Amino acid sequence: MTDSNLPRRTLLRYGAYGAGASALAAAAASWDRLTAADIPGRDDGSLVVATLGSAFDPAAVDALTEGFHRLHPDIPLRVNAVQAVDWSDFFAKILTQIAAGAAPDLVYVATEGVQLFARRLGVPLDRWVRRDAAELRSYFADVHPSLVESMMYEGSLYQLPMEFNAADMYLNKQVLKRAGAGFPPADWSRDDFTALLREMKRAGDAHFTPYFWTNRLWGGVVPWLFANGTNLLKESKAPGGSWLWDTFYPAADRHGRGGGFRWTTPQATADRVEEAYDYLASLVQEDLCTRPEGGNGSNLVGVFSTGRVGVTPAGGFWAGGLQLAGMQAADYDVQYFPRWRTQRHQFGAAGYALLRTSKKQDAAWEFIKYAVRQDTMTRLFRSNQTTPARRSMLNAARYAGSGPAHWQVFYDTLDRFPDTGPIPAPPQVAEVTDVLLKYTGTALASPRAVRPALRRMQGDLEKAMEREV
Amino acid sequence: MTNTQVPAARPRPAAPPAVAARPSVRDRGSRLLAALFLAPTVVGIVVFTVVPIIGSVVLSLFRWNVIDPPRFAGGANYRTTFTDSTVLVSFRNTLLFMVLAVALQLLIALALALALNGRMPVWLRSVFRSAFFFPLVLSAASISVVMKYLFNQDFGVVNWLIGLVGVAPVPWLTSEHAAMATVILVYVWQQFGFSFLLFVGGLNNIPKEIHEAAALDGATGLRKHLGITLPLLSPTLLVASVVGIINALQVFEQPYVLTDGGPGDSTRTVVMVIYERAFEQLDFGEASAVGVLLFALIMAVTALQFRLSRRFVHYQ
Amino acid sequence: MSQATLTLSRVRHSLAPWARIAGLTVCALVTLGPVIWTVSTSLRTPAQSFDLPPQIIPTHPTTAAYHGVFQQLDVWLLALNSTLVTALIAVGQMITAGLAGYAFARLEFPLKKPLFGLVLATMMVPLQVTIVPVFLVLKSMGLTDTLLGLIIPAFPTAFGTFLMRQYFLGMPKDLGEAAMLDGAGPWRIFRSVYAPLATPGLAIVGVLAFNYHWNEFFRPLILETSSQNYTLPLGLVSLQGNLGTGSISVVLAGVVLSMLPAVAVFVVGQRPLREGITSAGVNR
Repeated sequence: MTDSNLPRRTLLRYGAYGAGASALAAAAASWDRLTAADIPGRDDGSLVVATLGSAFDPAAVDALTEGFHRLHPDIPLRVNAVQAVDWSDFFAKILTQIAAGAAPDLVYVATEGVQLFARRLGVPLDRWVRRDAAELRSYFADVHPSLVESMMYEGSLYQLPMEFNAADMYLNKQVLKRAGAGFPPADWSRDDFTALLREMKRAGDAHFTPYFWTNRLWGGVVPWLFANGTNLLKESKAPGGSWLWDTFYPAADRHGRGGGFRWTTPQATADRVEEAYDYLASLVQEDLCTRPEGGNGSNLVGVFSTGRVGVTPAGGFWAGGLQLAGMQAADYDVQYFPRWRTQRHQFGAAGYALLRTSKKQDAAWEFIKYAVRQDTMTRLFRSNQTTPARRSMLNAARYAGSGPAHWQVFYDTLDRFPDTGPIPAPPQVAEVTDVLLKYTGTALASPRAVRPALRRMQGDLEKAMEREV
Repeated sequence: MTNTQVPAARPRPAAPPAVAARPSVRDRGSRLLAALFLAPTVVGIVVFTVVPIIGSVVLSLFRWNVIDPPRFAGGANYRTTFTDSTVLVSFRNTLLFMVLAVALQLLIALALALALNGRMPVWLRSVFRSAFFFPLVLSAASISVVMKYLFNQDFGVVNWLIGLVGVAPVPWLTSEHAAMATVILVYVWQQFGFSFLLFVGGLNNIPKEIHEAAALDGATGLRKHLGITLPLLSPTLLVASVVGIINALQVFEQPYVLTDGGPGDSTRTVVMVIYERAFEQLDFGEASAVGVLLFALIMAVTALQFRLSRRFVHYQ
Repeated sequence: MSQATLTLSRVRHSLAPWARIAGLTVCALVTLGPVIWTVSTSLRTPAQSFDLPPQIIPTHPTTAAYHGVFQQLDVWLLALNSTLVTALIAVGQMITAGLAGYAFARLEFPLKKPLFGLVLATMMVPLQVTIVPVFLVLKSMGLTDTLLGLIIPAFPTAFGTFLMRQYFLGMPKDLGEAAMLDGAGPWRIFRSVYAPLATPGLAIVGVLAFNYHWNEFFRPLILETSSQNYTLPLGLVSLQGNLGTGSISVVLAGVVLSMLPAVAVFVVGQRPLREGITSAGVNR
């Protein structure tokens, strides 16, 4: 025992010395790395842009930086591609920086955070938009007014939308074929949808589920609420905004536009909301759809592309994901969300928000303008990981490799259903989302749970909306 | 701060009278050396734990949304905490989780350690030991992503496996009853290796003669374990359960990735609530209040354990 | 003892091992199952990811997913950051835990018990509770968004200190007493008697630190802002893609890549680790 022990201990000791010495040497050699002194543009007054890293690949971020440098060599720029699983992780990180007084100048914000940022952190872009109206005319001509309106808050514009995703329906064509079903028409109804799920179920095996969805604010229950002509919170429009509509949009597009959305009184116990939940519960009961999982839906692309799922709601961002998962353009297609009482769709959009605390607001505005240029966006959105906000960028060439055949659906959703609007995201969005997800889970987790769950959802939503944010 | 004792901190009969009786020169040398040796640890703890904790306690008396300056709120955050059903449920969930997860973890670890203690080829024992310890080297977040695939109700491998023996698919992550059990399973799967190693070591340290003597007295199997092994193993059991409980009360990654706290609040733990309140809902005051309560709970449970342990733990 | 009972107990002893080994084998398979599935899925095409029954041995193995990881991430920079952070924390913890553990085990000084309680109590503080104050402290030191900001706060280690204390307590007391009679002071006793024996204990502290901090996610998530400062677990998140559209094979390939170093350290450090953890649970 001791005999074999001693050399081993000596060995261990020298091993430890060696490890310690090499660690020290490594530390000394990489002192700049440890103190981050080797990062260019750090603490030198650069314009700091925080962007959701998982949305853009590193090459795209590099291209963004270089292009801006060519245009504005006098404005040093640092792009932080924040890695986060979802928007709430992303915001957690931005908030820590704000709490510590180290806020970036620009933050990439999606619909989920538009009103919170507008109300508490952001600067309205109105004066710059007015000043540079001539320069921006081609941008607005290329971007649907519904997207722009979703970035307004109480009459002012806070972001220029760069991308969006509406929830349309993806269909696996092999599953359709197996069920002997045809591709649904654009104006298909909810009942057509149910019938299709039943046909798919009949033709499928035990490991097949016709409809699959993820329990989240975007693309969860909300599309069904919209289709049934209702919403989680009572929706209205703020007055104002005509300064923008009159400047940039033809009279036909101005109709009904306002100064942004207002989401106020919760209406979780309204009849139509109950109807939507009852419908989803009946699908679960019939084994036509799964109980919704929480989280970011990482299972979804995989199960759809392998034909374990026939139909799922998703937006343009899915085309890229399905291609990565090995799906061919001919294997799937996309159609509008089915009609119920209405065929109103829901979407989420994103763009750069300028923070009040920024001391470089003019420089930041230059970056915003640069980011929405056609050539910049073309470089940024090379793969189909989202739907560009510029209509001209959606063309046959873009979707030739990945599909779907009906790629026009992505942007036409906005034209064909002009009342299509953003997911409900008041400044209290974080609590509203938590409450929605929580009770949606409860409502569909067991039979006859819908009504009590919605009653409690209503109570919690009321509390959430009373909060001063 | 606390009177927490660890097993070995009990007064030992061999407390060094030599040192105490020596003149103060040696004493002073010893104190100086102790001060030097403790400095890095104590300074680090004060700066990066004690000060932040005090900060949290102070913060719990304020309303702070990060954006505006904090406003004094007195005990309002604590009052909200006690009337907020989500917070209360999260404490209930966490305690339930702690009891079941730690019990299961200790039971599995003990059973495997005892089984491994029997006769078998050395290489085989080594293979088993590595296998049981392996999950511990993985990251909880990554492995939870994997587990989410495996436990999917419709497409997961787990339901396929139990389907082979004719069991209907279980909604592992999407029913209020099953979700907590699944989170516990995944957690225990990853954590039991730690207790397991503690037990393996504890068993190795029990002198062989004791077992032989017991065998001569006719004690076999379960009786031998219950009557002789367990009391001798009780100090190890204490360490395993203390560390297990402290970790279990802070569980976060597994429910966060697997279920996001759902369905409903059924798997929402206290640390999840802290995270959501602070980083999602911008209520750093209430988040701190919940954090302070959790900290108090952990200390209370640990203190209680040591109190109970005086009766049940036997030292050789 | 009669011949008959002896034979009977022999029979029982020779039967029991097989049942026991079979049981252990099943348990080991259950334990390693998810890991095996992860590795094999990362070697299959995305289209085969969800096949049931799962092909444990891929019929057409492909390393495409691993190429994907290297394409989407600057793996080398992430790995360098992770290595620097983890290695320096490990060395730092070996130093702090070795010194403090020795003080608690072998030195006499006032306030010993409350100080030891303080050290252990830090185990009970959830990270999520203190992260914002910690961020503020780091900011006052100019260490936010640096790797040092991750490293330095991790130097004190409650469990490591506890381990080392147990380890030193386990060494024979007479060694030090003999040296003391020879006139050695406290430093000499530490330096030449106990410290040389502590290496295996320190190795355990190092391995445990490596294991924990290599996989650490929450602190880097909150504390590191620049993508140049990300550690591996943070970088891997982006493989999940925008709204979860990443390919599962690539995600799992990332998981496998990130666990390799931890596994390597585990294999090398398995023996001290085993001995060390076990000594923690034993009152000597």
